[in-house]
Amino acid sequence: MSAVVLGYVPNALGDAAAKAAVDEARQRGATLVVVNTTRADRLVDPTYADDDDMSRLQDTLRTSGVDFTVHHGTSKDTAAEDVLEAAVRHAAELIVIGLRHRTPVGKLIMGSTAQSILLGAACNVLAVKA
Amino acid sequence: MSSSINEAPGGSGTKAATARPLGELVFAGMIVGVGVVGFIAGAQIPIPPSAGVVGPRVFPFIVSGIMVAIGIGLVIQLLRGHTGAAEEGEDIDPNVKTDWLTVGKLVGFLAIHIALIVPLGWPVAAAVLFFGAAWSLGAKPWWRNAIIAVVLALILQFVFAGLLGVSLPAGFLLEGVEIFNG
Amino acid sequence: MDNFMALLEGFSVAMQPMYLLYALGGVLVGTAVGVLPGIGPAMTVALLMPITYSLDPTAAIIVFAGIYYGGMYGGSTTSILLNTPGESASIVTALEGNKMAKAGRGAAALATAAIGSFIAGTVATVLLSFVAPYVAEFAVQIGPTEYVALMIVAFLTVGALLGASVLRGLASLALGLFIALIGVDALTAQQRYTFGNPFLADGIDVVLVAVALFAVGEALYVASRLRHGPVKVIPVAGRWTNWMRKEDWKRSWKPWLRGTFIGFPVGTIPAGGADVATFLSYASERKLAKGERKKQFGKGAIEGVAGPESANNAAAAGVLVPLLTLGIPTTATAAMMLVAFQRYNIQPGPLLFEVEGALVWALIASLYVGNLMLLVLNLPLVGIWVKILQIPRPYLYSGIMVFAAMGAFSVNFTPVDVFVLLVIGVLGFFMRRYGYPIAPMVVGLILGPIFEDQLRRSLAISQGDPTALVSTPIAATIYAVLIVIFALSFWLKKRQKAMESEVADETPVATVELKEGGK
Repeated sequence: MSAVVLGYVPNALGDAAAKAAVDEARQRGATLVVVNTTRADRLVDPTYADDDDMSRLQDTLRTSGVDFTVHHGTSKDTAAEDVLEAAVRHAAELIVIGLRHRTPVGKLIMGSTAQSILLGAACNVLAVKA
Repeated sequence: MSSSINEAPGGSGTKAATARPLGELVFAGMIVGVGVVGFIAGAQIPIPPSAGVVGPRVFPFIVSGIMVAIGIGLVIQLLRGHTGAAEEGEDIDPNVKTDWLTVGKLVGFLAIHIALIVPLGWPVAAAVLFFGAAWSLGAKPWWRNAIIAVVLALILQFVFAGLLGVSLPAGFLLEGVEIFNG
Repeated sequence: MDNFMALLEGFSVAMQPMYLLYALGGVLVGTAVGVLPGIGPAMTVALLMPITYSLDPTAAIIVFAGIYYGGMYGGSTTSILLNTPGESASIVTALEGNKMAKAGRGAAALATAAIGSFIAGTVATVLLSFVAPYVAEFAVQIGPTEYVALMIVAFLTVGALLGASVLRGLASLALGLFIALIGVDALTAQQRYTFGNPFLADGIDVVLVAVALFAVGEALYVASRLRHGPVKVIPVAGRWTNWMRKEDWKRSWKPWLRGTFIGFPVGTIPAGGADVATFLSYASERKLAKGERKKQFGKGAIEGVAGPESANNAAAAGVLVPLLTLGIPTTATAAMMLVAFQRYNIQPGPLLFEVEGALVWALIASLYVGNLMLLVLNLPLVGIWVKILQIPRPYLYSGIMVFAAMGAFSVNFTPVDVFVLLVIGVLGFFMRRYGYPIAPMVVGLILGPIFEDQLRRSLAISQGDPTALVSTPIAATIYAVLIVIFALSFWLKKRQKAMESEVADETPVATVELKEGGK
């Protein structure tokens, strides 16, 4: 069975990406692999979904009727590496991520998870704009 | 002084339960040792005839005496099983074993930094220190560490040497650049 | 009226645009480090000390005062929005404040903490303005014998009471006294503990030791057991003008004032420190609450945030009384402020108000200004402070290492100093690991030379008779007070522990016990 990997973040952009990912998975008849990890290297990580966020997402996914699995928790690798690794492991045919505008300086300092995924992916990547 | 405390980790890396009192004992023993050295070296302080009733030796003797007494007290406490409570903090995880490797790496990079200041200049040494420390502490990815290290070193050099006139040596790479020199 | 005029003079200095800017910088940095985990005001002042050489004394002191007050404000933000075991003075705020935040009342908790801090800070600064000159006037008259007594009080209270273990605190103090001995004896010009090393003959710089202990030691210690796992920030909803409801004001103003009048005196005595003040305030608010409100304690009572936060800030002002009038620091941050004064050849003590009157009053005036700035900045800027918490720990601690190395190098512009930084930093690491408090060592290091000087003077007067040290009426009184302080502190500590464990279990039986014990 084919797979669609979703790089999830707990905000409006992430929910938009989730919606798109559900549509894609349904069309392709694929399993949806949700990835949300944190390196746990900071006190506050806004891109990491807590248990409440996660159960909310799982409720939505359950009602959508798509087959899905979740990778959630702390990880030694960066978020981009985790998404790419999940794509390889599940032989994904598509990765879905949210994409937002960043200033060049912001990108320089913070780096871009989206960019790493776009460049590192072996399959197609769907970048959702909120 | 420093060598004796540095030896403590070597013997205590194996078993967490028994190792801590050993390290603490070494530390308490070191306090006694400093006190004893204080007495011996204190007795060699020359007393000039001009010194009054209380010469330059009196206070060193008092402090050395306190150190010996407290150190012995601590050793006794430890032997009775009263170990110290390690400091707590917001970034401290009380439930993990001490990560000696990371501490060693940080100490190593600070040592490299010290060696680099004169030959290569402060900005290079600072960038190496930041990069090394960030890597030791597990920051990823490496290229972002490198960018931040270089940018931070240059900003600090610019602000403190260029603007505030703190004499940080710019090193041969930046010697000709006006804004990095005070 | 003289003092009032002097205070106005102080305002005219502190209100100069340049100094206002420095004060703003100070409170911003102070709040940021108060919010950030792992960096305290003492570490910040230590880190900034070497690189503020180029500032004039007034500017530097104003910056440090801003950091000092700002740090107190910042701590409450973290403890309300995140339930983290932060600095001891914020534990109580975390108890009630975080519960409030979880119940969606985070905005009110933040507001009552900020406004309470402002009111307490202002009232306590007024108290400071009027009390300090009188204490200084009294202090001018005391001789070396009394000084020795006062410093012994400071040593023993800081050494024995700050940490969990009395012996370890005193050991830390003794280590500080010992390092202070290295170098040339001021009275006889003899080298002591230099082992013929010309580098040691200059003595080991206090700033170097402070940066090593507070910054490098801390960074190494955090590295050794780095916490993993993020904590979720509780979002603060709504506009900040609507944060406090009418009822919140009604319930807050009395705790604010009570906290102020508990905190200030506790801050002035050496055994105090902010955590004792916050604990006392919390205990009294809990006892005074009636009916429904009493039941809210432990579940998010606003009084439990308003009182302790006010007490915290009032104590911070109280700490400045012994610092400015006697030259005796009772907390780690106060010790660093003392070093800052010494850098500019200003010796805090009885003569400070006479010799450096303009500077002291400018400092006090800047405290008023800083307090107002903090109130204005904190409420609307909470979002920015929360962003700071997203800095990854590796970068934070690497930055601290770089700053510490820069500061150490700037002391004499020689790599040897950075090496000393490393050695003492490793020492600081082991002290933390084995439960030795850091503050007594720094206090010992700073007060050691002054203490020895006064001790030798009083013994010279008495022809070497040590009984003279306790025989003057004032000195004898001071020692008697010391005993009282000790008895009180141990009792307080016991109560504090009892309360902490009780709040942790939330057993109703223990509540009754506390109520009876308090009467």
